[in-house]
Amino acid sequence: MNTIETFKYDNRIVRAFAWATVFWGLVGMSVGLLAACQLFWPALNLDLPFTTFGRIRPLHTNAVIFAFVGNGMFTGIYYSVQRLLKTRMYSDTLSWLNFWGWNLIIVAAAVTLPLGLTTSKEYAELEWPVDVAIAVVWIAFTVNLLGTILRRRERHMYVAIWFYIATAVTVALLHVVNSLALPAGWFKSYSVFAGVQDALVQWWYGHNAVAFFLTTPYLGLMYYFLPKAAERPVFSYRLSIIHFWALIFIYIWAGPHHLLYTALPDWVQSLGMVFSIMLVAPSWGGMLNGLLTLRGAWDKVRQDPVLKFLVVAVTAYGMATLEGPTLAIKSVNALSHYTDWTIAHVHTGALGWNGFLTFGMLYWLFPRLYRTTLWSTRLANYHFWIGLLGMMFYVVPMYVSGVTAGLMWKQFTSDGFLQYGNFLETTLRLLPMYQLRALGGALYVTGVILMIVNLYRTARQGQFEPETEAQAPALRPAPAPATVKWNHRWLEGVPVTFTVLATLAVLVGGLVEIVPMLLISSNVPRIAGVQPYTPLELLGRDLYIREGCVGCHSQMVRPFRSETERYGEYSKSGEFVFDHPFLWGSKRTGPDLHRVGGKYPDAWHYNHMNDPRSTSPGSIMPRYPWLLTQKLDLTPLPARIRTLRRLGVPYPPGAEDTAIQEARAQAEHIVANLKAGSVEAEPDREIIALIAYLQRLGRDIKQPAPVPATAATLSGPGAQP
Amino acid sequence: MIKDVIEHVGGIGLYGIVSLLLFFAVFVGVLVWAFRLDRARLDSAARLPLETDSVNSRKEDPHE
Repeated sequence: MNTIETFKYDNRIVRAFAWATVFWGLVGMSVGLLAACQLFWPALNLDLPFTTFGRIRPLHTNAVIFAFVGNGMFTGIYYSVQRLLKTRMYSDTLSWLNFWGWNLIIVAAAVTLPLGLTTSKEYAELEWPVDVAIAVVWIAFTVNLLGTILRRRERHMYVAIWFYIATAVTVALLHVVNSLALPAGWFKSYSVFAGVQDALVQWWYGHNAVAFFLTTPYLGLMYYFLPKAAERPVFSYRLSIIHFWALIFIYIWAGPHHLLYTALPDWVQSLGMVFSIMLVAPSWGGMLNGLLTLRGAWDKVRQDPVLKFLVVAVTAYGMATLEGPTLAIKSVNALSHYTDWTIAHVHTGALGWNGFLTFGMLYWLFPRLYRTTLWSTRLANYHFWIGLLGMMFYVVPMYVSGVTAGLMWKQFTSDGFLQYGNFLETTLRLLPMYQLRALGGALYVTGVILMIVNLYRTARQGQFEPETEAQAPALRPAPAPATVKWNHRWLEGVPVTFTVLATLAVLVGGLVEIVPMLLISSNVPRIAGVQPYTPLELLGRDLYIREGCVGCHSQMVRPFRSETERYGEYSKSGEFVFDHPFLWGSKRTGPDLHRVGGKYPDAWHYNHMNDPRSTSPGSIMPRYPWLLTQKLDLTPLPARIRTLRRLGVPYPPGAEDTAIQEARAQAEHIVANLKAGSVEAEPDREIIALIAYLQRLGRDIKQPAPVPATAATLSGPGAQP
Repeated sequence: MIKDVIEHVGGIGLYGIVSLLLFFAVFVGVLVWAFRLDRARLDSAARLPLETDSVNSRKEDPHE
């Protein structure tokens, strides 16, 4: 007979994370709404550096992913882990380190991103001191989670716990590899990877951040809260086992497949497509497992807003995971890439899957944390319908916009010319869709405000229970090895082994993709004409990064006739060997800039940056008047050049000493050019550096190689540095 | 464009084959494993989230 032990679940940490989820959700979505409105109403950029779209967009994505979904994930994990394992969290100190650390990181993000302190790598924009803090806090969370598992009173680890373990381990791995950078100052660093390699690592990270930050933890929450709310066990526990292993095993290498599409010989491309399509199977297995859990309980869905939210969340998961592999098909991607189709896709996931699952969980959790009933079921129902309508108004116009843009960009006249040769024409066509999208966003945010009122009133009318007392028998010692049956149940009984195996599953997939990436640097064909940026251009590039230009402009001309006609020669891998970080971008709200160098006079850029509508009537680009007035800081130049040299950029010895002088000389040259275009400008302003960088873009391959000139081949393997 | 790059990586075709075989083996392994599991134990595992918070709510697992 076992002794019955009495212990207490910690509800305070759950409450803290729950309120943080609500708060950051409102902030992140409101910032998103602002960004959405800026796209058809440029005046909303307020002509201030801190509020322009380029800086606001990463603030929105980081706030929604890491602040809203991050805190939501911790809320659900801290609630369910304790109850599923019948123990309090391993360490209250680690719990609170997790809470305060994570939320301080978010505050740091909310300060640094508007200040323009960014690495420009999508969903990994935060600069290195914050990256270090993220790693520390994440380790605290992982130790707390594993410690709790080791102290559990329930031998079997429920499927939700497996998903949490996979999340903890994989996010740590992804974050560390993708954030590898060399600091060149307190809030400035250069990625250790360059060009093609940087792009591959970034999108290995980017795709798997979606997989292991937005998907696996929320699948864990689904497997816990859906049965809870429906008051019946999950449809098939067997299916959940298959779901878990197949998902974590395929997901980690689906991302690079996505990226490698244009990269591999034909038969491997087909293989890649098959792999991506295979991902539909476990994803849909999970979705069906969720929906079928409700078999015989659909009458409850009609009455219970919690279940309504959860059903839509699981359905959105199914839609997004069918759409993802569809977009990974090469011929679809040719049309969809760089357009709003991607935006529609991610928002089906964010608004539907993450958003609605979080809302359902909060509506279920608050009455229980505060020992009361939900203040207003009717208000929750209103939230549901307004939110659903908002989602539709968001997603459908973005599909229309995406397909419209994709088709217009590729449209030729019968004479063989681009029908819409002016990029602006295609942008202007999309504005009504942007307005409808903002309406959708506004509806969605309205729903969230209703939820906050409802949750607040629920908390007010109830009595918070800081700790819940529970009892369970102590865990009996594991059976002797000789009697152990070699099955999954045994595996769940040994969490360390389980964690190691799950890590292995993730690592194998990662390694199979990472190894070719590491070999790449020595396999990029060198182009003799491609030289490192001059000091002034380098500063201009750093300004381009600071202002978030990459959010709307790609630097990657794809090898399609529609693109070479519009932009010029398609981009070669050898052109990016000195690009720390790469700036290919993933969205064309404005035109590609890889071949913009020399396309317009310096004065055009000057006027365009001051007021884009003066040169391009109707443009939705923000104004950048501060670039014309702010003084260019030349002092960081030596440190930046030294850092880049350490990363392999061949700046000659002593370049850091002459850098400032060189920058000044080049600035004088640009000022003279501006004067010729009847623009009077000071040489020591930021705009001069930015013009220097823009005019350099994509020109190296057009010029003969510098003396002593060897044959400047474009594709043949050149000399190694 | 990346095609030029990857094609030069030695044995890239092998990676594709190894990936496919590895995945297939793991997938079949998990399938076999999952279907050999004891139904009663699966049911008891699936009921874990449904246990309530209140004291003394836990019943002894009949299958242990």
